[in-house]
Amino acid sequence: MLDYAMQRRIELFLLEEARLLDAGQFEDWLKLYEPQGIYWMPSQPGQTDPLNVASIMYEDHAILSMRVQRLLEARALVLTPMPRTTHLVSNIEAKEAEDGEFTADAAFICVEHQADRQRIYSGRHAYQLTPHDDSFRIKLKRVALMNCDGVHSPMAIPL
Amino acid sequence: MEQSATLPTPDDIKSLVRPDHVHRRAYADPAVFALEQERIFSKLWIYVAHDSQLKKPGDFIRTRLASYEVLVTRHSDGEIYVLQNRCPHRGARICMVDRGSSKIFSCPYHAWAFRPDGSLASVPHRKSYPENFSFDDPSNHMQRVGKVALYRGFVFATLNENPEPLLEHLGPMTEVIDNLVDRAPDGEVEIAESSFTLEYRGNWKLHLENAADIFHPSFVHSSSVAPARRAPTNASILDQDQTRLMLAANGLGYEEWEGIQLNGYAGGHVYMNNIYNAGVMVSQKADPVAERYRAALTARHGAEKTAQVLGMNRFNNIIYPNLIINAQYQQMRVTIPLSVDRTMVRIHCFKLKGAPDEMFHRAVRFLSTLGSPASMIFSDDVEMLERCQQGLARDVGPWIDFSRGVGQESRGAEGQLSGAASEMPMRVQFQAWVNYLTAEAA
Repeated sequence: MLDYAMQRRIELFLLEEARLLDAGQFEDWLKLYEPQGIYWMPSQPGQTDPLNVASIMYEDHAILSMRVQRLLEARALVLTPMPRTTHLVSNIEAKEAEDGEFTADAAFICVEHQADRQRIYSGRHAYQLTPHDDSFRIKLKRVALMNCDGVHSPMAIPL
Repeated sequence: MEQSATLPTPDDIKSLVRPDHVHRRAYADPAVFALEQERIFSKLWIYVAHDSQLKKPGDFIRTRLASYEVLVTRHSDGEIYVLQNRCPHRGARICMVDRGSSKIFSCPYHAWAFRPDGSLASVPHRKSYPENFSFDDPSNHMQRVGKVALYRGFVFATLNENPEPLLEHLGPMTEVIDNLVDRAPDGEVEIAESSFTLEYRGNWKLHLENAADIFHPSFVHSSSVAPARRAPTNASILDQDQTRLMLAANGLGYEEWEGIQLNGYAGGHVYMNNIYNAGVMVSQKADPVAERYRAALTARHGAEKTAQVLGMNRFNNIIYPNLIINAQYQQMRVTIPLSVDRTMVRIHCFKLKGAPDEMFHRAVRFLSTLGSPASMIFSDDVEMLERCQQGLARDVGPWIDFSRGVGQESRGAEGQLSGAASEMPMRVQFQAWVNYLTAEAA
C-alpha cells in the first residue's frame, strides 16, 4: 500500500487533469502527457488490442496535439457553443509499479452541457504514471467508457 | 408498419421536387418518411450483412430492414435467412445483442425455441397444446422476411415479393464491390469484428447527400485541416502519418476540385472519382507495407490487373439507399433510418485476406480517425446534419436549393457526370426518390 502522502499526490494529480479539462485549458492538459504518452478509449469492453480492434480514441502526443489544436480552433463546429463539462474522478486506487512508476485506477463521471442538451459519460480510468519533477506525467491513460460499445452521438471533449 | 397518418399521394410527392429545389417536407414530414419506409426501404434491395459475419451455422447479426428489427442468420443448410426478431407466440423480442452465434433462438418468455431458419424446434409441455398445433405451421415460426440475394459476399434483402434482380438494382455499382474484393490478395474480404454505431438527430438522406458533396469539407472540416497542416510530418509513433494526412486531406481547394468528377446514376447511386490521387492508406514513399501488399496482389492477379485494381480511385460510392463503400480505405457505412429525424450510421472496416497485417491496422486506424464517435471529422459532419434538420423542421422558406451546376452536367453511358462543385448527385438522388415513391406498388 502506498503511504498516504504519495496516495494524496496521485489523487491531486488526477484532479488537476480533470480541472484542466473542465477549464478548457487543453494545451496545459496535454502537457500532463509524456512525449510518448498514449490516450486510449477502447470501443469494446475489456479490449486489449488497439491494432486489430478499432478504438474510439487511440492517440499519442502527436495526434492529441492536433486534437487539442482543433479544440482551440474557432471554427470547430461540434464545439460551438463550447461544451461546459464537470469531470468527477473518484474511488482512486493508486499503486506502485516497477521502475519507480505508479498505476492508478479511478471511476469517473463527466457531465457535458452544450446548447440544448446535457450528456453523461461514465466509466473507469486506468493510468500509468511516471514521476516528473515533483509531479507526474501520463504514460498511458485508458478510458473504459461504460457504454463504449453502445450507440453514440459525437464526443467533443476528452474524458 | 404501424400506420395511422395518410400517406402522401404520387402527386403530392412530385410536388415536393423541382429540377433544382426540394421542399423541406422531404426531410421533415413523418408521412413522407412512412412512405419512404414502404416504397424505398421495403421495396428496394437493402444491404443487411456481409457473409463474413455469418461464417458458420448459427452465426447471426441483428439489424433493421425497413421498420423491422431482423436477425440475419446462417442456417445448418448453409443458407442465409432474414427473420423478424420476434416470437410468434406472444410477440416478445427474442435477441438482444447485435451479433453472435447460436444454434437455437430461444424466447425467454415461454421458451419456444427456433432454428436459425426460423422454424420451430421445441415448445415446453408439448402435450398441453391442442392436437392440431403444428410445428410445421409457418405462423408458429419466427417469421421469415422477404427475399435474400448476395453479390460477392454482400447480403441484400428486400420485403418486395417481386423485386428486380439484385444485379439490375446495383447496376454499375457492382464495380466498387468487385474492386473491394479484388483488393484482397486471397480474393476474399472479411468484416472486422469492431464497428461503430452513431446516431444523429436528422433525416437519413442528409447523410447520403453529405457523402456525395465534395464542396463542404474545406468549410466544415477546417478545424481539423488547419492543425493537421501545421503539425510536423511523421511525428506519431502509432501510425505512419495516416491520421495527419487524413485530416489534412479535407482541405481541398478550388484547384484540387478541378480534377474531381461526380457520377450519378438513375437508381440514385452516386460516386466521385480522382479525389485522393495518391491515397492516404498507401501514400508513403518507401512504404514497405505497401510494397509487400502490392507484391502479394501481383502474385495473385499479375501486374496489369494489380495496377488496374489499385488504380480505381473512387470515393464515397453510394449504393442507394443505404450503403456507402470506400474500397480504397477498406471501409463501409450503412445508413439506417429510425424516424424522420433520427438516423443510425454503422461504420465497418474490412480485412483484405492475404494482405499484410499492417494493412489491416491502417484500416482500423482509418475507421477510428474517420468514423469513431470522437472522430475529428465525422463529428463536424453530424453537427451540420443536425443543424440542417433543425432548420428544415420549421416551415420557413419551404424550398431548399440544389441549383449549383444545374444544366452543366453531361450524359455518360449510364448516368450523369459533373465537376466537383455541382449538386448533380443530390438532384439524381431526388429524381430516383420521386420515381421510387411514386411507382405503382409491385
